[in-house]
Amino acid sequence: MTADLVARIETALAAARRERRRPRREVAAALATAAVRWRTDPALAAALPAAAGLSPAMVAAVLPLAAEPLDADAMAALVEDELGAGAADGGAPDGPALVVQILASNVPALAVPAIALACLAGVATVVKSGRADPLSAPAFHRALAAVDPALAATVVPADWRGGDRRVEDAVLARADLVVASGHDATLAALAARTHAPLVAYGTRTSLAAVGRDAPPAAAAHLALDAALYDQRGCLSPREVWVEGDADGFAARLTAALRGLAADLPPGPAGLTERAAERIAADEAEWRGARVVAAGGRALVVHAIDSLAALASRLAPGTVECVGVAGARLDAATLRRAGVARLCPLGRMQRPRLSWPRGQRPPLRTLLGIPAEPLLEVEA
Amino acid sequence: MSIEAELAAALEAWRRGGPPPDFETWALRIFRHQYERNAPYRAFCDRRGIRPEGVVRWQDVPPVPTRAFRHADLACAPPEAVFRTSGTTDGVRGRHLVPHLALYRASALAAFERFVLPDGARLSCVFLLPPPAERPDSSLVRMCAWVGEALGAGVEWLAGPAGLDVARLLARLAAAEATGEALLLAGPTAGFARLFDAARAAGRRFRLGPPSRLMDTGGAKGMPRPLSRPGFLRACWTTLGVAGYFCVNEYGMTELCSQRYESVLADRFQGRGLAPRRLLAPPWLRTRVLDPDTLEELPPGATGLLCHHDLANAGSVSAVLTEDLGRTVGDDGIEVVGRVAGAPPRGCGLLLAELGTP
Repeated sequence: MTADLVARIETALAAARRERRRPRREVAAALATAAVRWRTDPALAAALPAAAGLSPAMVAAVLPLAAEPLDADAMAALVEDELGAGAADGGAPDGPALVVQILASNVPALAVPAIALACLAGVATVVKSGRADPLSAPAFHRALAAVDPALAATVVPADWRGGDRRVEDAVLARADLVVASGHDATLAALAARTHAPLVAYGTRTSLAAVGRDAPPAAAAHLALDAALYDQRGCLSPREVWVEGDADGFAARLTAALRGLAADLPPGPAGLTERAAERIAADEAEWRGARVVAAGGRALVVHAIDSLAALASRLAPGTVECVGVAGARLDAATLRRAGVARLCPLGRMQRPRLSWPRGQRPPLRTLLGIPAEPLLEVEA
Repeated sequence: MSIEAELAAALEAWRRGGPPPDFETWALRIFRHQYERNAPYRAFCDRRGIRPEGVVRWQDVPPVPTRAFRHADLACAPPEAVFRTSGTTDGVRGRHLVPHLALYRASALAAFERFVLPDGARLSCVFLLPPPAERPDSSLVRMCAWVGEALGAGVEWLAGPAGLDVARLLARLAAAEATGEALLLAGPTAGFARLFDAARAAGRRFRLGPPSRLMDTGGAKGMPRPLSRPGFLRACWTTLGVAGYFCVNEYGMTELCSQRYESVLADRFQGRGLAPRRLLAPPWLRTRVLDPDTLEELPPGATGLLCHHDLANAGSVSAVLTEDLGRTVGDDGIEVVGRVAGAPPRGCGLLLAELGTP
């Protein structure tokens, strides 16, 4: 396997060198077409629920969400925003030759934006699938190969068992940049083993803020944000801070979660996972918070006098996204607290490709270009 | 007489051969007592709409999660002692306030005697623990002190601020071997593992005289290296000369005043030597295995969260939902198969500890 993987990497490097001159706008168009094919891949839709531990209804709901950001115009705009005016009509900028991307396994389809960003950046990439989704990366690679074989040749979807030192060492030795997601201990161990720069995405969570002026639908929007991906992602809200009638909001949220349990049933969860959920919810209650749990999802509901005080309560670097309804939060303060995304409730699970995960602009990060910490505010 | 003193007398009576306390009657009476005197517990029950007059089965007494002991003082009266858990992943330690130590003592001694000393042996106690003066907040140390005083023929504490005093321990074992003195060795499983490693490194093996025995507790916590239960029992034989059926594992927790013990020694003295190893309890401690989603009781043999109901916790909270996974074995025992603590919730996890609270 190692020799085969190394050979595929060499092929991808050669392909990326050939593809460098292509206008990024053309690359974006190919990616957009591939995303449509990937989204409607019947084999993927059939196999992913079992692999990812999600219900078929959930997979049917999230595949379009994963493909949605790969809009040709949006991708071209992203290139221009990050790399400068006119960049979409030019070739790839200088950057690392090979980027190794090691994906988390908490939510499926992470391979889609990973491959898309690498193609837009013009780098060859190895994409190692997460344990719970070995399907999305090869499926998107197949879709891209059907649309644009030359571009697909720059991508090496890979799936080896985590901790296989022989394969990992061979791949890491070839990397010019490593991008990895996972638990902090895993990332620390990885950092010690690679000579290449490591972009590490550790454990983060998300929360919601509901102001006094929030519309009645805010509870339903938050319930959807929580239910999608079975609350597994770093964009999944786990807590909500409510101005005003927190009890009333909690009741509406409970009802909304119950309603979604039928449309988006939770996937099967193991005993340890379910027990951990129980323990976490129990502890929240004893810390004085109210826990709303229904349909296999749980949120902690906090009452707060003024959401203006919320940002200052966040432990720096722990919150990825804040979903808001009926309030205006101070973006500058949130950015200083490490928040990467501020969006309306109901859109927390629909990030654009430009989402500066971990406050890092996606393309500049892949290209190793320094950048200020970023907060993306979505209207 | 307080309810705790009354119960302590009942446990003492059982120890002397009397009938066990009627579990359900005591459980309901104690629940009312705790509801009336333990304000955080009463608030917890009220949030669930549960009041003593509506509870007719002991199984319906609402269990408090062990993590509650990290955030609230769950006691029905001012404590005579405060015991602290040994540590957690985020550094917050739980505390168990015990208002009536006499009840704790009665429970601990009765169960220890039944399951570790069923033959009535009175042995020199060698504890792989620091003395009570150094660890006044350790429930295990306190229990061992009572055992040494009431059931032992002398007590030695062979750990201190620097940890286990291995040299002294090896010397003590050699002396016991030379004279044929039988010992009761007790302490954390990790302490025994250190002893085995040290004896191996020193090329020492001992043959302790019968009826020496040991009691270990704590499982993998703090172990210097992984050690399976069969491996542990093998080392007890090869290093100490103590056969596996004289090695009793204790399952206890700071939040409980009663403990479970492996059945192996009690079974041997009751002619049930072929029965499977399982953790037995005195009649005032019952354990249910619950579905983590519904908190409904699971069928016999199914694995779930262990929920203990300990009457000896009358001064604090009797129903305690643990983070231990286990299953029932036979009609009187349980087996602990793992622990949830440290297992992250789905995905990125619930980082409550890192977020502010209102």
